[in-house]
Amino acid sequence: MFKNYLKIAARNLFNNKTYSFINIGGLALGLAVSILIGLWIHDEKSFNTNFSNHDRIAQVLVNKTNNGEVRTRFTLPYPLADELRNVHPNDFNHVVMSSFPGDNVLSSKEKNLNKYGVFMEQGALRLFSLHMLKGNQSALNDPNAIVISESTAKAFFGDKEPIGKTMHLNNDAVVTVRGVFEDLPHNSNIFETLAAFSEGKPLDFIAPWTVYVSMYEWVKTARDRKLWDNNSYQVYVEVSNQSKLQAVNDKIKHALYDHVPDLTKKSNPEIFLHPMNDWHLKSSFKNGVSSGGAIQYVRMFGIIGVFVLLLACINFMNLSTARSQRRAKEVGIRKTVGSNKNQLIGQFLFESFLVTFCAFVLACALVGVLLPVFNPLANKQIVFPLAKPMFWCIGLGLVLITSLLAGSYPALYLSSFHPIKVLKGTIQSGKSATSFRKVLVVVQFMVSIILVSGTILVNRQIQHTKNRPIGYEQNGLIMVEKTTADFEGKYNTLREAFKNNTGVIEMSESSSPMTEVWHSNGGYEWEGKDPNFITNIVNFYVSHDYGKTIGWEVKEGRDFSRDFASDSTAYVLNEAAVEYMGLQDPVGKTIRWYDGEHKVIGVVKNLLTESPFEPVKQAIYSINYQETNWINLKLSPDKSLAQSLEQIEMEFAQIAPNVPFEYHFVDDAFGNKFKAEERMRKLSEIFSVLAIFISCLGLYGLSAFIAERRTKEIGIRKVLGASILSLFKMLSWDFVVLILLSGLIAIPVAYYLILQWLQNYTYQINIPWWVFGVAISCVMLTALFTVSYQAVRAATSNPMKSLRTE
Amino acid sequence: MLLQLKNIFKWVNSGGQRIFLLKDINFEVSEGEFISIMGPSGSGKSTLLNVIGMLDGFDEGEYHFLDESVHSLKEKHRSNLYKEYIGFVFQSYHLLDDLTVKENLEMPLLYKKYSSSERKAKVADMLDRFNIVGKKDLFPAQLSGGQQQLVGIARALISNPKLILADEPTGNLNSKQGEEIMELFKKLNDEGVTIIQVTHSEKNAAYGSRVINLLDGRMI
Repeated sequence: MFKNYLKIAARNLFNNKTYSFINIGGLALGLAVSILIGLWIHDEKSFNTNFSNHDRIAQVLVNKTNNGEVRTRFTLPYPLADELRNVHPNDFNHVVMSSFPGDNVLSSKEKNLNKYGVFMEQGALRLFSLHMLKGNQSALNDPNAIVISESTAKAFFGDKEPIGKTMHLNNDAVVTVRGVFEDLPHNSNIFETLAAFSEGKPLDFIAPWTVYVSMYEWVKTARDRKLWDNNSYQVYVEVSNQSKLQAVNDKIKHALYDHVPDLTKKSNPEIFLHPMNDWHLKSSFKNGVSSGGAIQYVRMFGIIGVFVLLLACINFMNLSTARSQRRAKEVGIRKTVGSNKNQLIGQFLFESFLVTFCAFVLACALVGVLLPVFNPLANKQIVFPLAKPMFWCIGLGLVLITSLLAGSYPALYLSSFHPIKVLKGTIQSGKSATSFRKVLVVVQFMVSIILVSGTILVNRQIQHTKNRPIGYEQNGLIMVEKTTADFEGKYNTLREAFKNNTGVIEMSESSSPMTEVWHSNGGYEWEGKDPNFITNIVNFYVSHDYGKTIGWEVKEGRDFSRDFASDSTAYVLNEAAVEYMGLQDPVGKTIRWYDGEHKVIGVVKNLLTESPFEPVKQAIYSINYQETNWINLKLSPDKSLAQSLEQIEMEFAQIAPNVPFEYHFVDDAFGNKFKAEERMRKLSEIFSVLAIFISCLGLYGLSAFIAERRTKEIGIRKVLGASILSLFKMLSWDFVVLILLSGLIAIPVAYYLILQWLQNYTYQINIPWWVFGVAISCVMLTALFTVSYQAVRAATSNPMKSLRTE
Repeated sequence: MLLQLKNIFKWVNSGGQRIFLLKDINFEVSEGEFISIMGPSGSGKSTLLNVIGMLDGFDEGEYHFLDESVHSLKEKHRSNLYKEYIGFVFQSYHLLDDLTVKENLEMPLLYKKYSSSERKAKVADMLDRFNIVGKKDLFPAQLSGGQQQLVGIARALISNPKLILADEPTGNLNSKQGEEIMELFKKLNDEGVTIIQVTHSEKNAAYGSRVINLLDGRMI
């Protein structure tokens, strides 16, 4: 019996090549997309699961309420780690304070390399249960140790034994390699970064906290003076086996509040644990509660995957029922020789399983080909898990579900034919399923229209944000981090050297890179301030030449100038700060802080330094040569970039010979902020094209069968004098109506979905109505083009031929 | 007695009027008979044949087949009954285009729980009996009309039915092929198979033992 089914199915597929191609090809495409999305989702969900205690690890975060608005931060004061350790010894296996990861100069003998690393307290290796290739997890107990990653060990020592080797850190501390850990897998992210452009960098080393304290005076101060209101550190914990995360959460809630100074108490800091399992997918907070994050994309692409597969299934259903006339005879014969309905259902389901299985095999091949293209697009390193039995189980499940989804309606429909009627040819089989088919076509094009309009709007949102005034000149602006002390006190020497010998027009220094905000403070007072208003203002410490270098626009007053000695304590505000403080005529006003009084000398247009999707925060710019971390260089547009960079590197080498020259283009770093959105745009573009393609594939098959069924009608009409154009219209009109209908349904759905997505952005576009018109016309044209081939062929065929066959 | 029809009526309602397809049909068929149903187009021949074959129902009357009351049987029993005892032969053969001669013959057996070796033996026997062994691997499209009908009859016979129902079996054939098929029916009848055929041709009807004439759904 089985063999018989197999034969019939195989010969059927072979004898109807176009139909089989559309069916298997379409399904394969749909399955390939689902598999790719599935692999992507699996990878997203697998983040940090490589750490064996990932269920019990958490980062300590803090919610602060200022003027009614709750903000979640990950920066904490120095004494908190000790407090948690000492007060709740039974709740934590480890409490580990950590610096923010960043570029540091690591040197061994003649070799100096910029390495991305972090300073952590002793328990770090055990907390993350890092897999140590050399040394063990207590390696950081040695106060002058360093543990490095496998690839870092290779970069410095090649195949030689790294353990026991002496290295220099930032041309300052002397450390000894005590361990080598296996490179962290790409699907791990354990550190909050301060610079979006270094996100995703592999971790090269972990140095002990003691080295951090000895290297930086401000850290030592924070430790010795137990500064509860200097938030410059992160804290990681591993909750003990007998404790529940939620219970611990409740216990430690006020650990910070109880110790901070009264002024800070006003913002009611409440700490809580953010579990490691949520670090990747649920990293956003709104009003102090988790508001998702990357999980949104997981959900969105999950839905898209299901929809694309659904489109392919709909093709299968449509074509099978449209073709039913051809299979009707078989049903009739089988019924008269003794088949019952269930056996026929079984047969047709088996056929759909066979088709789906072929499609699955093809889809696997497609995925194999597409993965190398998909990986860079999605910023992943996904490996096709062909060797894993789990993949095949899920794959088989997918095939079963798909074949049931695609095959059950045709199976029920075909098997219900009445034998006499179909054998006598008295019913126009396939006609009764027409309305159902129309519904399916409407669904298909609805999905296509939603995807197309979504793509257009995502594009517009990105463009809109990119067109936003950024308040400074990004062209030819590069920034270099001052990783070591070599640059201290050499500002003028550097500036002279660059301006004279290289293609640099202007140089300046600043505390934060151009694309980030690293400092903010409270405690500001000014005339007319509401005493209950809790201030929090972003600080940029800059050199005199900052404004000239980046080309900011002074709106009122003036820029910093060396001509006025008093400018060393002067403030320049941005427009947002003026609004925030409610100042009328801000220039000349006085602002008080802990260190004294500051005169406002100018107001600049808002500089876009953080998320381009958020409003610019209130900011104060002040002169401070001690707090700067970054060198900003404005390159001359007249000189070649390569030449300028080469000259700059030479100048750097003169001043800091042991520091590898590493720079960032500001426009690149800024563009990096659109990474997630750009990825979303690219993927949604691809999926829209695929959706339209799959839908049109089905439409092509469908139009072929409709044209075939109407051959006689077309012949008669032609004999009676119908023109080719009128026949073409007749054959296409149905589809035009269907697509218009799908457009009508798609618009509100798309509108709602896009509105949901836009909620993530404060700086957002409005949704213009023409977008839907464009989407519908776009889909309509593609569909008409698809249909036209069959319509033209049918309309131009010789009527006598078709009529003679009757 | 193989089957008995008593006061069979069948009608459709069209435009408020009741149109009778079969009107008060009464007859009995004994085993070993060869009956021809004749009448002009639209007289209800095929409908009667389908009613006898249980592929179609009727609205009034009684139908007994081998002591079973068909009119009171459930659909499932009815289909079991015709599966076991009745074979169908069609005017346009109705072979499955995607199966070879051998596979077409085998198909009815697949629905009747025969073992693979039994099926093979029966198919081989049938191919032999109809002298079409050489054609067993050909597809229907590669055969002439007469040969296709031969296969059609072989398929109807393969599960040893008591009754063969043939709806104008020679309608699509030329006269020589038609004659051959009728000779075959005659031979089968002599071997004990009961046959009911629908035909237009007096000549074909002459092969049978009895003729039932229909006009407008009535026996005359």
